[in-house]
Amino acid sequence: MKRQYRISAAAIAAVAALLLAALPGIGQKHPRELTKPPALVFKPDKPVSFTLSNGIQGLYFEDKELPLVWMAGRFKGGNLWEPAEKAGLAGLTGTVLRTGGSKTRTGDQINEELEFIAASIEATGGAEYMTVSANGLKKDFGKLVEIYADLVMNPAFPQDKLDLARNQSLESMRRRWDQPIQVAYMLALERVFGADTPWGRRTTPATFKTITRDDLAAFHARFFAPNNMTIGVVGDVPLAEVKAALEKAFKGWPKKTVTLPALPALAEKADGTIYYAYKDTPQANMFLGHLGVRRNGPDQYKLDVMNNIFGEGGFTARLMKELRSNRGLTYGINGGVEAGLDRGAFMVASQLKAAQFLEALGLIKGIITDLQTNLVSDEEIETAKNTIINSFVFNFEQKNSLLNQLMILKLQGFPDNYYETYIENIRKITKQDVLEAAKKHMDPAKMIIVVVGDEKKFDKPLSTFGKVKTIDLQALQTAEQGGQK
Amino acid sequence: MAKSVKTLTAIFGLFLVLGLAPLAAQNLEEKVTLHVLKNGLTVILAERHGAPVISTMYGFKVGSVDESPGITGTAHIFEHMAFKGTPKIGTKDYEKERVLMEKIARVGREWSLETAKGDKADKDKVAALRAELSKLEEEQAPYIVKDEIDLIYSNVGGVGLNAGTGTDQTSYIISLPANQLELFCLVESERIRNAVLREFYIERSVIQEERKQTTDAVPTRLLSEMFMGAAFLAHPYKNPVVGWASDIHSVTLEEALAFKEKYYTPNNCVLAIAGDVTPAKAIPLIEKYFGDIPRGPDPPVFRTVEPKQLGERRVRFEFDAEPLLMMGFHKPNFPAKEDAAATVLSYILTSGRSSRMYKDLIQDKQIAVSVNAGSGPGVRFPNLFTFYATPRFPHTVEELEKAILEHVEKVKTEPVSERELQKVKNNLEASYIRAMSSNMGLAGVLMRYQLLFGDWKLFLKYKDLVGSITAADVMDFAKTYLTAENRTVAALIKKAKAS
Repeated sequence: MKRQYRISAAAIAAVAALLLAALPGIGQKHPRELTKPPALVFKPDKPVSFTLSNGIQGLYFEDKELPLVWMAGRFKGGNLWEPAEKAGLAGLTGTVLRTGGSKTRTGDQINEELEFIAASIEATGGAEYMTVSANGLKKDFGKLVEIYADLVMNPAFPQDKLDLARNQSLESMRRRWDQPIQVAYMLALERVFGADTPWGRRTTPATFKTITRDDLAAFHARFFAPNNMTIGVVGDVPLAEVKAALEKAFKGWPKKTVTLPALPALAEKADGTIYYAYKDTPQANMFLGHLGVRRNGPDQYKLDVMNNIFGEGGFTARLMKELRSNRGLTYGINGGVEAGLDRGAFMVASQLKAAQFLEALGLIKGIITDLQTNLVSDEEIETAKNTIINSFVFNFEQKNSLLNQLMILKLQGFPDNYYETYIENIRKITKQDVLEAAKKHMDPAKMIIVVVGDEKKFDKPLSTFGKVKTIDLQALQTAEQGGQK
Repeated sequence: MAKSVKTLTAIFGLFLVLGLAPLAAQNLEEKVTLHVLKNGLTVILAERHGAPVISTMYGFKVGSVDESPGITGTAHIFEHMAFKGTPKIGTKDYEKERVLMEKIARVGREWSLETAKGDKADKDKVAALRAELSKLEEEQAPYIVKDEIDLIYSNVGGVGLNAGTGTDQTSYIISLPANQLELFCLVESERIRNAVLREFYIERSVIQEERKQTTDAVPTRLLSEMFMGAAFLAHPYKNPVVGWASDIHSVTLEEALAFKEKYYTPNNCVLAIAGDVTPAKAIPLIEKYFGDIPRGPDPPVFRTVEPKQLGERRVRFEFDAEPLLMMGFHKPNFPAKEDAAATVLSYILTSGRSSRMYKDLIQDKQIAVSVNAGSGPGVRFPNLFTFYATPRFPHTVEELEKAILEHVEKVKTEPVSERELQKVKNNLEASYIRAMSSNMGLAGVLMRYQLLFGDWKLFLKYKDLVGSITAADVMDFAKTYLTAENRTVAALIKKAKAS
């Protein structure tokens, strides 16, 4: 284990002495010379499933390590099903369900009561689900469940808390133009999914202002029902106690018919256009892409491996290796083909050095094309598969995040044995599979490019790369804020 | 972009939260083993035998606070360079690389120093040196195994390989399947001992982009930079962790390395591992790989003391963004009693929907959408009690400042209630328990207390300190420190659009 190698006796200057240190000797051994450790033997616990008398589906893990308890309930239904003219309704329903309190407890009382015992309950309205989660100390489990169920079943949606939530959201809308990468993301969603679809539309002050407390109550009534609820509980509370507390708290909550109308199918609109929005900012803030795939589809494992090699594997991924590590053009870049309820998106995102932006675009396109033309190397596919397979154990470190994952898989219609068979399914993927997936699911000729920045700082005009359309951010912002100016 | 962000600068740069308070002390003490190697490396193991995984974090007590003018950002630059490999890792032929890297170091230095002359630089010389440097970099490229540390860990299932630089410390993290402990010991001891600064000038360019992405284009970060620059006159807490753009453009490979040599010694390092680990297996491995790294000299004595503030300082600047406000007051740092009083006060004023300022400024008056009180930017030296607040249109930063100060004045004249104090204690106790619920969270908190204050058990003792704070202490703190002459206010004002 010789440490430092002396280059020459003449190296006397301070700089040279430092250089010696910069260039250490032979070091220890290479990690490949280590004996391989024995394989991990690990049999993960499975959660207990239960059904309450009113139809609520439950999943449970006992976790005695710490005196804590965690819960999350999900209801199918979310902003994908809100009317276009009331975009933002699901989000407001979630927020005010919590802050507005119930018919017998004001929101302010609940704030004080929960925060005094270091507990929390939060509700959110997402795309496909409404989620109400809670956590606290196990000694407070009874009280927590009681307030939780009261909010879920009997939210009051008072006008003052709706106004508060709306005003906060309006302020966020003013501020969403402040960071160029956020602007690029918003513009890209509209153009990849379509501004008139539930996936691509932008919530605006105009849609927010039409939302009333009756809308909130109706949205709640439409989706919040025991037969549409899945709840997960993890903590140092025995199952019998959990079930008894939930039965008691949700007693008398009637079942009802919940329908989720089919959503219009997404159609590919991407046509290779470059959308340029001027902003006085140092970098080129870019999103590019087109539609992706449907969830739980035939190519999902191929895509998991391809994405890892292409742009999701961090420093082992090609995008990062080339754009950051080899060229120093960005602090970070990622990308991949994502799945969605109907179609996800193929996207690449990065904040790039403006003076070499066109060069960077060429490199990205080249990486896509190469993945569609040539087989990846043996080393790359091995690394990608090893990365996915060997890190799988981390899904089991924290029981609440594991249970959360399992709940989502179940709600999204993945087969019950998805987790158990996942590693085997990844193992089967070949270089040919990656090539096929790349050909089938990425199209560099069609992908649109959204860039927010200052073209004067770019190495070449954008028109040298394709057809350019200009977006006037100032006009968009003014139109959106209207009377608030 | 989780994995692509090779720095946690943003998180450590402001508001390092020490407010994680202790409860079941004996519970944690049973799980933790402390072991100090002969070379001074301190090892902390925390056993959590759930899933067969471990999280590791080791840190050096060095951060941007240890930099001097001209080399700001160097702690962070070296942190990036620590991922570039060793004589064994990251190379196909190290001997061939050595020859090229000596030339790269020389040409890179000449190029950097010529460029730093700005307008007076010889443009032809700059271009020629840049071309020569690129040629050398191209010659070296075939010998490099790209990002091999990442590759090695990825292949065995490692997740979250990353590092973070703050004002006070620099730390390195990775989570691994529990059977990979020996691999961890080999790779990490090798890079502490033998880091090779490959591709230095390419990485420096990445960091220039990082600064633009994470500061120059981000209103909150830009405001914070302006604020700290005004709040501190002498103390290097005034400098941003990422460094000033001019310095990032000119720091040389030799300067980065000299910085490392001074501070990256085992006696200035704490290694924490939490998860499925036992001392019986881990200590011998750690001894084997880290034990013969030579002890270094003690880090230089830190000398600069921020002089007492003699009057209010104000910063206002225009930017293409909605308005923001920061305010701060100098105060003593951990473990002073005043620091604990500040923690209590920050909870009472802004933590949660039942806090005073949430109820009044956000919910009732609706002049703000957020108000957060805290301490920062570091904890090794006397720091600031800060407010960071976001006004709601059409309300102005001036209105918001006035409203915040009214609450501050109230604390000086009316004691906080017993219920408010009890609520803070309950929350600190719970956050202590929650800190133990993830391996990385636990490794991080143990490592930080040991590294910065010399004893991880201060994490446990903090409860007693906070628990001892009375309403009178809070009032004294407010009267003594939250004064006009001790105050700095910085505001970002929306730039008027050219019509």
